[in-house]
Amino acid sequence: MDITLLSALLVVVLFGLLLSGLWVGFALLAVGMVAMELASSAPMGAVFARRVWGAMTGWDLTALPMFIWMGEILFRSRLSSDMFAGMAPFTRRLPGGLLHVNVFGCALFACVSGSSAATTATVGRMSLPELRARGYDPAMAIGTLAGAGTFGFLIPPSLILIVYGAATEQSIARLFLAGVGPGILLAVLFSGYVMIWSRLNRHRMPEPEPAPTWRERLRALGLLAPTILLIIGVIGSIYAGLASPTEAAVIGVAGALAIASLTGGMTRANFVASLTGAAMTSCMIAFILAGASFLTVAMGFTGIPRTLAAWIGAQDLSQFTLLAVLLVFFIVIGCFLDGISIVVLTTSVILPMVMAAGIDPIWFGIFLVLVVEMSQITPPVGFNLFVIQSISGRNIFEVAWYALPFFLLLVLAAAIMTLFPEIALWLPGTMMNS
Amino acid sequence: QQAWDMPTPYADAIFHTQNILQFADDVREATGGNLNITVHSANSLFGHAEIRDAVRDGLVPIGEFLLSRLANEDPIFALDSIPFLASSYDDAERLWEASRDAVSERLGQQGLTVLYAVPWPGQSLYLRRDITDPADMAGLSFRAYNVATERLAQLLGATPTQVEETDIPTAFSTGRVEAMITSPSTGANAQAWDFTTHYIDTQAWLPKNIVVVNTDAFEALSDDDRAALLAAAEAAETRGWEMSRAETAEKIAALEAGGMIVSQPSEALAARLQEIGATMTAEWEATAGPDGAAVVEAYRNQ
Amino acid sequence: MRKALDYLYGAALFGTCAAMVAIAALVFTQVLGRALDQVLVALGQARLGLSVPSLGEIAGYLFGVAAFLALAPTLRSATHIRVTLVLRAFGPAGDRFMTGLVILIALGLTGFITWAMGMQAMTSFQRGSMSYGMLPIRLWIPQGLMTLGLVIFAIALLDELIALLRNGTAAFRDIERGRDITEGGH
Ligand code: NA
Ligand code: NA
Repeated sequence: MDITLLSALLVVVLFGLLLSGLWVGFALLAVGMVAMELASSAPMGAVFARRVWGAMTGWDLTALPMFIWMGEILFRSRLSSDMFAGMAPFTRRLPGGLLHVNVFGCALFACVSGSSAATTATVGRMSLPELRARGYDPAMAIGTLAGAGTFGFLIPPSLILIVYGAATEQSIARLFLAGVGPGILLAVLFSGYVMIWSRLNRHRMPEPEPAPTWRERLRALGLLAPTILLIIGVIGSIYAGLASPTEAAVIGVAGALAIASLTGGMTRANFVASLTGAAMTSCMIAFILAGASFLTVAMGFTGIPRTLAAWIGAQDLSQFTLLAVLLVFFIVIGCFLDGISIVVLTTSVILPMVMAAGIDPIWFGIFLVLVVEMSQITPPVGFNLFVIQSISGRNIFEVAWYALPFFLLLVLAAAIMTLFPEIALWLPGTMMNS
Repeated sequence: QQAWDMPTPYADAIFHTQNILQFADDVREATGGNLNITVHSANSLFGHAEIRDAVRDGLVPIGEFLLSRLANEDPIFALDSIPFLASSYDDAERLWEASRDAVSERLGQQGLTVLYAVPWPGQSLYLRRDITDPADMAGLSFRAYNVATERLAQLLGATPTQVEETDIPTAFSTGRVEAMITSPSTGANAQAWDFTTHYIDTQAWLPKNIVVVNTDAFEALSDDDRAALLAAAEAAETRGWEMSRAETAEKIAALEAGGMIVSQPSEALAARLQEIGATMTAEWEATAGPDGAAVVEAYRNQ
Repeated sequence: MRKALDYLYGAALFGTCAAMVAIAALVFTQVLGRALDQVLVALGQARLGLSVPSLGEIAGYLFGVAAFLALAPTLRSATHIRVTLVLRAFGPAGDRFMTGLVILIALGLTGFITWAMGMQAMTSFQRGSMSYGMLPIRLWIPQGLMTLGLVIFAIALLDELIALLRNGTAAFRDIERGRDITEGGH
C-alpha cells in the first residue's frame, strides 16, 4: 500500500476511534493493528505480546507509580495544601501569584523525575485542586501545568535523553548537562508569560492575598518546611550516591509517608486511598503506554517515519532550512506518536543527515527533547494531556487548547536555541573539558 | 521478492551495526534485490531482551543479540564470558571454532539457524583510581550485571553492585559504583573519561554478538538466495572479526585521547586474574557437564 | 453475582497495591543496604554489599503485573481516559448506543490481546524461559499474572455491557457523567 495513503488512513482511523469515545489505549492498539494488517505479514498477536511484555517491564518505568504515589500521599495528607498556604504570602507581589508554583514546582520536581508524565501527575495532583480552590483561572492553571510538566524530559535526569544517548552513542552525562540551560530558558519564558498574562488579564486573577504579618510569614515558612525538606532529601539521595534516579522515587514515597505520619495527616484510610489512587492512575498511563508501544512497533514495520525522514534527507537542505523542516516534521508526527517512539523510530535516519549538515549531535539531542515536549501537549496523542484529563476532568482537546501558548513558547525556545546554541552547549563544554 | 525486518540492539555508530548494514547491502546485491533486509538498530523494533524470541517465534526472520544473554538457559551460551579462558582474538577465534557446533545445535533446537558471530573487543577494567595490587580491589563497589560478572567481583574480593546500563555515568559520578569491566568500544562510545580515570587493559574475555535467522524463514528461501545469504554471512563474520581487532587499538587510543590513563595490568593483578579465570572455568565445567568439558577440551587441544 | 464480581475487582486491585508496596519495599531495602555500606566505609570498615539480586528485573515485572491487574478496577472507576466531547452532543439513546459500541470494540480487542499474552505465557512455560539477570526467574509467572489481569479486564467489560443492556447504563459512564456535571460547562 502506498505510504501516503496508509498514513492518511491511519490518521483518520485514530481520530475516528478517539472521537467516538474509545479509550485511548485501545484506540492506539487498534490503529497499530490496522497498520500491521495492511503493511506487514508478521503475526500481530505475537508481536503485540512480545513488544508489550518488553515495554511494560522496564526498570525505568517503575519510578512512575512511585512518584504518582508520592503525589497522592502529599495530596491526601494535606501536606500539599500546607505547602500552597505557605507559599501564598511570598508570591503575593509576584504578577501571576501562585501560578508560578506550577512552573517552579515542575522544574524542581524534574530534577528528580526522568519523565514528563510523572512530573505532570505528581505536581498537578497537588497544584490543580489548590489553584482552583484559590480562584485561579482554570485555563491558565491547566496550561501552565501542561507546559511546565514537560520539564521532566528536559531537566536531568531524562528518559528521552537516555534513549537518545543510547541510540546515537552520545554521552548521557553531557546530554544531561546540556539540558540544564534550555531548562532554565524555558522556565524563564513560561514565568515571563505568566507575568505578562496576569498583568493583561487582571480581571481573571483572584483577589491578592492580604498582606501577611511577620508572624504569618513565620507560620508560612513552617508550613513549607516539610515539603521542601522532602524534595531536598530526594534530590540529595541521588547526589549522595544513596539512590539511582529510579530508586529516588521510593525515597520520595518513604519520605512523604514519614512526614505525613509525623504531622498526623496519615490515617489508615488515607494510606489506602493514596495507594489505590496511585495504582489506578499508573494503570491508566501504563495502558496507554502499552498501546503506544505496540503502535511504535507497527510503525517500525510499516516504515512510515523512516520513509518520511529519508525523504527530508533527500531534499539536501541547508542547516537552518533542515532544522525548520525537521521541526515541522516532528510537530506533525508528534501529534500522533509519543515522545520515546519519535526518538526511537527516527534517529537512525535523521542523525546522519543532521551530522552531515554540521549540527552538533548533543545540541540536536536537546532540540529533539524540545520537540518531544511539544508532542506531549499536542492532541490527540500527548501524555501530559492524558494525565491532566485524568486529574482535572477536562478533555484532552480542551487541555491542549489551554496549553497552546506554552506550545508556542516551546517553539520559540527551539528558535532561540538554534540562534544561540551555547545555551545548550556551554555547560557540557565547560564542565567536561578534560 | 522478500522484505526482511532485522532488529538489532546497538546504535548505528557501533561497529557491529556497521557490519550488519554492510551485510544487508551485500545480501541485497547478491540476490539482485530479491532479499531486502531492513536493519532496525538500537532496539528500535524490539528491545534486546526480546530479539531472540522475536526471531524464534517468526515475528521477524532475522536478528542480532549478545550470545551470553542466554546464559541462564544453557551454560554453553556463557562460555565466551568466562574471564581469561580465551583472552585474545586468536584464542577467541579457536574457542568459537570449538564451540560453534554446540551453540548452533542448541539454537537449532529453538528453530534458529546461526549465521555468524562477531566478538566485542576484550573486556577491560574502568576505575576512578589506579590499582596494581589485587588486594586493593577488596571492598571496591564493582558493577555486576549477570551471574558471571557477579562471580568475578566476588572472587576479586570486590562488592558486586547492580547498575543498569543507562545509569552508569550517574552511578560513577555519585560514587554508587567504583569499577566496571567492559570493552574499549563501549567505554569510548560512552565517553567513559567523563566519569572514570583509569583503564586497565585486561582484555579478560571477548563476548560475541550472534546473528541468527529463523530456520523456517531460512528454508523458505530459494536455493540461490540461501546460498547468497550464507556467503554474505561468512564475509560478514570475517569482516566483523577484522573490524573488532582494529576497533580495539582504535578505541583504546580514543580513551587515551579523552584523558584516561591507560595501563597494562600489573604482574600481581594479572596473576590474580589468571587464577580467577581458572576457578571460573572449573566452575563452568562443573555446571556444563561432560558436553561442556568436551568443548573446552577440544579448544585446549587445538 | 454482583458481590462476587466486585470481590474479583477488589482482589485484582489488592494485587496491584501489593505489587506496588513490594516494589517500594525492595527498592527501599536496596537503598538501606547502600546507606549501611556508606556508614561502614565512613567508619573505615568493609562494605557488606547487601543488595536485592536482580532488583531491576523483579521491579520491572512487578510493575507490569501491577499495571495489568489494575485494568478492571481502573475501568470501573472511570479512570481510563477517553474523549467524551462528542458524546455530549448525543441524546440519551445515542449515548447508550455509543457506550455499547465502545464496550464492544474494547471487548473484542481485549479478547484478542488476552489470547496473545496468554499464548506468550504458555510458550514461556513450555520452553522454561528464564530472565537474564542474576536471579533466573521463570518468565511465565509474570506473563501469566499479566494475562490474568487481562482476563479480569474482559470480565469487567462484559459486566459493563450486560449492565448497559439490562439497566440502560454502565458504571463507568455514570461516574463520567457525574464528573461532567461537577466540572461544569465552560
Ligand atoms: Na527530569
Ligand atoms: Na502529541
